[in-house]
Amino acid sequence: MSTATTAPSKISVRELKKSFGANEVLKGINAEVAEGEVVCVIGPSGSGKSTFLRCLNKLEDITAGHVTVDGFDVTDPKVDINEVRRHIGMVFQHFNLFPHMSVIENIMLAPVELKKQGKAEARANALKLLERVGLAEKADARPASLSGGQKQRVAIARALAMNPDIMLFDEATSALDPEMVGEVLQVIKDLAREGMTMVLVTHEMGFAREVADRVLFMADGVICEQGVPEELFGNPQQQRTQEFLSKVL
Amino acid sequence: MPRLQQAGAARPRTATVLAALLAFAALLFGATGAAAAPADVRQAAEAPQPAAAASSVSGKTYVIGTDTTFAPFEFRDAGGELTGIDMDIIRQIAKNQGFSVEIKSLGFNAALQALSSNQVDGVIAGMSITEPRKQIYDFSDPYFESGVQMAVAKSNTDVKGYEDLKGKTVTAKTGSEGETFAKSIAGKYGFTVKSLDQSATMYELVKSGNAVAVFDDYPVLAYGISQNNGLKAVSEKEKGGSYGFAVNKGKNPELLKAFNTGLADLKSSGEYQKILDKYLKDPSQAAQSSFWDLLANSFPALMKGLGNTVLVTAISFALAMLIGLLMGFLKISTSVLLRGIATTFVNIFRGTPLLVWAFFFYFGVPQLTGQPIDIWVAGVLTLSLNAGAYITEIVRGSIQSVDPGQLEASRSLGLGYAKSMQKVVVPQAFKIMTPSLINQLIIMLKDSSLLLAIGFAELLYQGQQIYAGNFRITETLLIVAVLYFVVIMLLTKLANVADKRFNK
Repeated sequence: MSTATTAPSKISVRELKKSFGANEVLKGINAEVAEGEVVCVIGPSGSGKSTFLRCLNKLEDITAGHVTVDGFDVTDPKVDINEVRRHIGMVFQHFNLFPHMSVIENIMLAPVELKKQGKAEARANALKLLERVGLAEKADARPASLSGGQKQRVAIARALAMNPDIMLFDEATSALDPEMVGEVLQVIKDLAREGMTMVLVTHEMGFAREVADRVLFMADGVICEQGVPEELFGNPQQQRTQEFLSKVL
Repeated sequence: MPRLQQAGAARPRTATVLAALLAFAALLFGATGAAAAPADVRQAAEAPQPAAAASSVSGKTYVIGTDTTFAPFEFRDAGGELTGIDMDIIRQIAKNQGFSVEIKSLGFNAALQALSSNQVDGVIAGMSITEPRKQIYDFSDPYFESGVQMAVAKSNTDVKGYEDLKGKTVTAKTGSEGETFAKSIAGKYGFTVKSLDQSATMYELVKSGNAVAVFDDYPVLAYGISQNNGLKAVSEKEKGGSYGFAVNKGKNPELLKAFNTGLADLKSSGEYQKILDKYLKDPSQAAQSSFWDLLANSFPALMKGLGNTVLVTAISFALAMLIGLLMGFLKISTSVLLRGIATTFVNIFRGTPLLVWAFFFYFGVPQLTGQPIDIWVAGVLTLSLNAGAYITEIVRGSIQSVDPGQLEASRSLGLGYAKSMQKVVVPQAFKIMTPSLINQLIIMLKDSSLLLAIGFAELLYQGQQIYAGNFRITETLLIVAVLYFVVIMLLTKLANVADKRFNK
């Protein structure tokens, strides 16, 4: 593994390709994410950002190339993908909370079912996570009774319940009303401060600039340009990047 | 009527399903009047075989086969006891001649088959003496002269004879002597014949004015009139067939002789006429019992039918749920083979009528395998496979209508496919499918009435048995409909309460 950073690599992606039928969405991605690094992925719609993210925990089958996460080669069919996923938390654009369970049951599901914790321990742990996202009083509420921002904070707590080493955020604020974006970003910032390794696909340029250690700009299925936020936003080298930023900034 | 056409020979064993299906069609049109209660059939095998060489019948017990329901010759009274002209005659002759009889109510065809295979010693079943039958059986002297007679509604004063039928419609039973006779004179008198396949429904047709007269066998008609079926006979009976008691060719000659002697005795003593009067005399003064009497009398039998309806539905629905869940999961499987199995299953059972399968399982499978099938097994298979096909689609549709993000979220937490389905997808799918399942359950409860065609004693079958005896079709059906309605209302309420409780 070759990486520019000194910290050991948590995620390593080599020549990743992904096709849906005849449509090649990812055309050879190479990327490294170091431990504790926060990487934001930006780019126009259809550039393959979300597909790239979903390949990291194999929610999408990988057509070609290699993805290594936390030392596991997720492209190796012998690797138990369920085991790998327990080390990776994922937050979705549409929250995907389980509507037939209460808030705390959503969070307890994985630890209890995967026998990581007993029910009482899982409950105590879940309450702590809810406190951390500021929603302890909603523990027994149904997801349907929450606002969008609250739902996403619960979803983050749920993703944290298995104590993951890595968190993936797939446009976590895109489905939120503007006044609720802040509360969710605050939770993510807190995680960054605690040193969580994170990959975020986002449209929030200001947030990417503030929280990211590194920004990847994707277009047409490849990483077009990458760098620290000040460089990428302040002095983009590629014409494609300049065009995109001029539209969104 | 059917019994004239049947010589008691076994139907040929068919090698193909298609041929078997055709046989059911024949059975459907041929045997509706005398749906067999199959529980009785098995008893035939247990019948003892008495010695045939003895010259005297005194002190012996003979096993006599008969039909299940052929009023007024044999039918069950309100208490469930076998009664009728045949029963009274054979019992009185036995008493007169000093022997005992053990009656086996087998069904008409089964009784003749049992006679051919010496499982019963004699058959008395309102059976016409015909040349083909005389080749296989020895008949007694005729004990009853049948013949076709015409009846009209009690209130009808216009039609007094065939000449008053010009331009009118009459009814007769499909395939019966009555139909043959009516059609033979229809041209001459200028009327139309509309054929039906049950006596009780023919009488309703006349009472409702949709037909002006009915041509039916004299004893059946006379019994109906004696039961206040609302008709009156207006013609003399035409010369028709004679009924006889039969033994197997060359067997039990002493029994035949004793029957003839006893019959002559009953005739000379006047006992014979008393028996006929008991069942056939027009009770023009007798008052019809009230609706409440009818309700009280028919209630135990209807309740038994309702019990069978509910039980067969409950068992079938539980089985249909298992089938539907299994097939529903196969349908969403990634394997082409498994999906193909489920799709084929659904196409077969959703694409064919329930009744065809009822006939197939009950009449066809025994012919293909040589093993008789219990009517409950046939009924449950029919209902559960049919509903299973619909439930498969309900399950598939419900699972697929759960947001795919739910499965992704669960899988991203590290839960396996099976665990994710069990904990996340299926509970949500179940909530979606509950109203459709309740619907399916109610449809099944009503569809179970189709099993009457194979003689399953469910609620509507019991109702038919009752009005076949008392001819009060409208009132009996009304009671049956109310019972269905009440049960379905209760079931709906119960299901909705359960739905609210478990799917909040």
